[in-house]
Amino acid sequence: MASRGLRNAGLRAGSILLLLLLWWAASVLMNDPDVLPGPIVIGRTIAGDLASVGPEGHSAYFHVGITLARIFVAFAAAMLAGTGIGLAMGLSVAFERALMALIPLLLTMPTILMVFLAVMWFGFSETGGLVAVMAVVTPYVAVNIFEGAKATDRSLVEMGMTFKANRSLLLRKVYVPQLMPYIFSAVRYAFAMTWKIVALAETFGLKYGIGYMFFFWFGQFNMTQMLAWIVLFIVLMLVIEHGIFAPLERRAFAWRVSPVS
Amino acid sequence: MARVVILERVATPDTGSASAITVKNLSKMFSAPAGGARFTVLESISLFVHEGEFVSIVGPSGCGKSTLLNIIAGIESYEGGSVAIAPRAAKAGSKSGSKAGSEPGSEPRVGYVFQSPRLLNWLTVEDNINFVLEAQNIPRSRWKELVTRNLEMVGLGGQQRNYPLNLSGGMQQRVAIARALAIEPDILLMDEPFSHLDAITARKMRFDLSDILTQAKPTILYVTHDLAEAVFLSDRIYMMDTKPARIFKEVRVGVSRPRAPEDSKILDLEKILVREFFGALETKT
Repeated sequence: MASRGLRNAGLRAGSILLLLLLWWAASVLMNDPDVLPGPIVIGRTIAGDLASVGPEGHSAYFHVGITLARIFVAFAAAMLAGTGIGLAMGLSVAFERALMALIPLLLTMPTILMVFLAVMWFGFSETGGLVAVMAVVTPYVAVNIFEGAKATDRSLVEMGMTFKANRSLLLRKVYVPQLMPYIFSAVRYAFAMTWKIVALAETFGLKYGIGYMFFFWFGQFNMTQMLAWIVLFIVLMLVIEHGIFAPLERRAFAWRVSPVS
Repeated sequence: MARVVILERVATPDTGSASAITVKNLSKMFSAPAGGARFTVLESISLFVHEGEFVSIVGPSGCGKSTLLNIIAGIESYEGGSVAIAPRAAKAGSKSGSKAGSEPGSEPRVGYVFQSPRLLNWLTVEDNINFVLEAQNIPRSRWKELVTRNLEMVGLGGQQRNYPLNLSGGMQQRVAIARALAIEPDILLMDEPFSHLDAITARKMRFDLSDILTQAKPTILYVTHDLAEAVFLSDRIYMMDTKPARIFKEVRVGVSRPRAPEDSKILDLEKILVREFFGALETKT
C-alpha cells in the first residue's frame, strides 16, 4: 500500500516536472520573453508580486483573498441549494417530475453565456457572479444528489426500522453515508466549475481578484504577468483540491479498502 | 391499516404457558404494481409462539413468510385479524443485571436477522452493533460488554474494528446474528438467515445457532423453505401453503436437545413432513 502510494506520488511529480521542462525548453527555443517567458521567470514574477504592493495599491494577497472568498461563498451556496433540491426530488415524485423538465434546460446553457446574462441582469457586482455560479452549478449538484437519493438501499432503511432506529439515527448512519459518494463527486465538480466561472466573471468585469489582475495585465500586453497570475491560480486550486478535498474523501471512504486491524 | 399491539400477558389454550407472539386470523392484501387488482398475500393466518420457544414457518419461496415476519416486527401493516406480542417479561432466572435498562412490562425488544446480512458497510463491526443498541436506547455504558459478549458468542471475538466488507458472507451473517442478539431480544425473528450461504457454511451455522440459543434464550420465530433445517432447529413447525398463504399443518418436534441432524428421529420426521408438504402443494395445482 505504502509503496504504491509512493510510486503514484512519484509519477505525479514526474509528469509535472516533465511539463515544466517542456515549457522551459520551448521558452529557450522561442527566445522571446514577451511571447513565452520560461518557468523560472514566471516563478520569480510570482514571488515578486507576492512580496510587493501591486498596481492600484493592492497586494497579490488581497486579490487572492477576494477570489477565494468569492469561490467559497458561491460554492457553498450552490452546494446547499443543489443538495436541498436533490433531496427534495428524491423525496417527492411531483417535485422530481417538475424539476426533471427544467434541469436539462439549465444544464445545456453554455457557461460563458450564463456569465454574460448574469452580468446584464445584475451588473458587474458580486450578485452577478454569484447568480452565474448558482445557475450553472446548482442543477448539476441537484442531479447528483438526486441520483444518490434514488440509489438509497431500502433494505438497510428497513433494517434500521425493525430495530426501531429513530429518524435522526437513520439519517446519520444509514442515509447520509450512502449519499457520501454522490456528495463528494458533486463537491469536486461544483468546486472546479465554481472557480472557472469566478475567474471568468472577474476577467469580464468584477472588481479585484485573480481574474481581474489577469485582465489588467492583458490590457498592458504583459505576458509574463498574465502567465504568473494563471500559474498562481492553478497552484492555489490544486492545493485546495489535493490538500483538502482529496484527504477528506480518503477518510470518508476508508471502509472500502480498510486493512484488517 | 392495523398495527401490532402489545397485549397483557395471555395464556395459550393448549398448555397454559405464556405466549410471546399471538397471531389470529391475520390477512394481508397487496395491490398489483400496475395499480390494478388487489390480491391476498396472507389469508387467515393464526399461530402462537410460547415464551422461549423455537417455532419455524416452512413454506415455498414467495409465499408471504417474510411479509408475515415484517408484520410481526411492526414495519408492515395488515388488513384483518390481530397480531399481539407480549410485553417484556421479568426474567427471574437470568444472569444478574444482564437485562438492565429495560423494565419488565415495557415494550418487548424484537431482534431481526434477515436473509442477507444488511450490515452498514461504512461502519465497523462494533459500530454496526452499536447502531442497534443506540436505536433501542440501551445505555451506552453497556455497549462494550454487549458487543464483546455477543461477538464472542458467534465466534467473532476480536473483530470489533474490522469492516464488514473484509468478512466472508458467513462471517457477515454471524455479525447480523450478534447484532440481533446484542439487544437481548425477547423475540428473535429470523428470515431464512442461512439461505444465501453455501451448504457447508450453512450447516456449521445451524449447529452454532442451536448452540448459541442455549446461552441466550429468546423466543424465536424462524422462517425457512428448508424442512430439514426446520426439523433440526425447532420445537414446533407450522407448514405454510402458497397463493394465498395459509397454514395447513402444525407439527411438534419431540426430539430432545442437543440434537444431531443425522438423528434417526429427526430424519424420520423430516421424511414424513416432506411427503406431506409436497403432497399439499401438488394437490393445489
